[in-house]
Amino acid sequence: MTRLTDLPPAQAKRLAELECPDFATRPRVTGPALSRRRVAIVSSAGLVVRGENPFRGRDPDYRVIPADTRPEELLISHISINFDRTGFQEDWNVVFPLDRLRELAAEGTIGSVGQTHYSFMGATDPVQMESHARELAGRLKSDQVDAVILPPV
Amino acid sequence: MSALGHYLEEEGIATVAISLIRPQTEKTKPPRALWVPFELGRPFGPPSDPAFQKRVILAALQVLEREKGPVLIEDFPDDDPRGRPDPAWHPPFIPAGVAAGSDGSLAARLVAEIVLLRDAHQRWVAQHGRTTVGLSGLPISECARYVADWLRGTAPASPREGFSAPLMLRFAVDDVKAYCLEAAAAEIAKPSSRQLGDWFWNETAAGATIHALREACLSSEDERLKLIAGNFMVPAARVRGSG
Repeated sequence: MTRLTDLPPAQAKRLAELECPDFATRPRVTGPALSRRRVAIVSSAGLVVRGENPFRGRDPDYRVIPADTRPEELLISHISINFDRTGFQEDWNVVFPLDRLRELAAEGTIGSVGQTHYSFMGATDPVQMESHARELAGRLKSDQVDAVILPPV
Repeated sequence: MSALGHYLEEEGIATVAISLIRPQTEKTKPPRALWVPFELGRPFGPPSDPAFQKRVILAALQVLEREKGPVLIEDFPDDDPRGRPDPAWHPPFIPAGVAAGSDGSLAARLVAEIVLLRDAHQRWVAQHGRTTVGLSGLPISECARYVADWLRGTAPASPREGFSAPLMLRFAVDDVKAYCLEAAAAEIAKPSSRQLGDWFWNETAAGATIHALREACLSSEDERLKLIAGNFMVPAARVRGSG
């Protein structure tokens, strides 16, 4: 278990004081019951399907992860080395819980799982990601996705 | 992550963020987030624990159904049971001649160590059906040689078109770390990340090589190399002298 108090003081201070965007608006979209939602994962772990170009530095764009991607095909190319990777090595659901989403859909807790999932590289300046995120929204809508879970790393 | 949520919500898609660093989420004020008390790198908690992971993802998705807003941050109550060390875990055997010695022979010891860990790594792959080695696109033996050549001061050219030599060094270092850490976990015991990290950074030739390489590259005149070596090779908590 790690809270900020468990990290080296300098790292904890840097993370706690990291400059974050201060948005003027507070958008909040509602939707149907969970059992009717189509859910996709948009990770910021710098995930990349093996064979595709890893994130280089702070690339602001995203990578596409089709729902039929197999665990052995997914790699982390996040630039930061200050987080644990051994959990992901053992079980991709620690970072990319596609198996859990499938189970929730199979038991009817959620409606369905998106056809495609995505990853950004979270250390990038959010302002640089904005146009890519807005473009991604169109792709999610065309897949009928109406709920996105956003895991960091 | 919360910023991505803001953009997606503005475009009409409902989101819920997982938060690992609560102060950042409090500043960004997303419409919905679930803070989890887990280690960085484990947003859904323990590996190989589907029931626990499902509780986390369900807790996050259920925030989507709350009426409260416009900003709602809930807290997941339970710690990651895999955060505790496993006293039954033992690292792979590495003869003292490989794990220790003068800096001058480090490069050779790294290459030898990767060979020594091959059986353990093969067991890992057999157990888990996968490896996360592969960012560099090089076989692990070539990764080790590439990193070793950097330590020898030869500044080798990039072996991959379209990737600069310093970027390939970063990816090769990542692959060496992943290979060693997977090999070290290829037993029944379930070590914590700290146990694995203590072993890797304090007891292996690979860890010693990366420490030494970082120091060597920091005195380079290549600014990009200095940046990569300074920030993206040795975790902040493991930099020598960081306490």
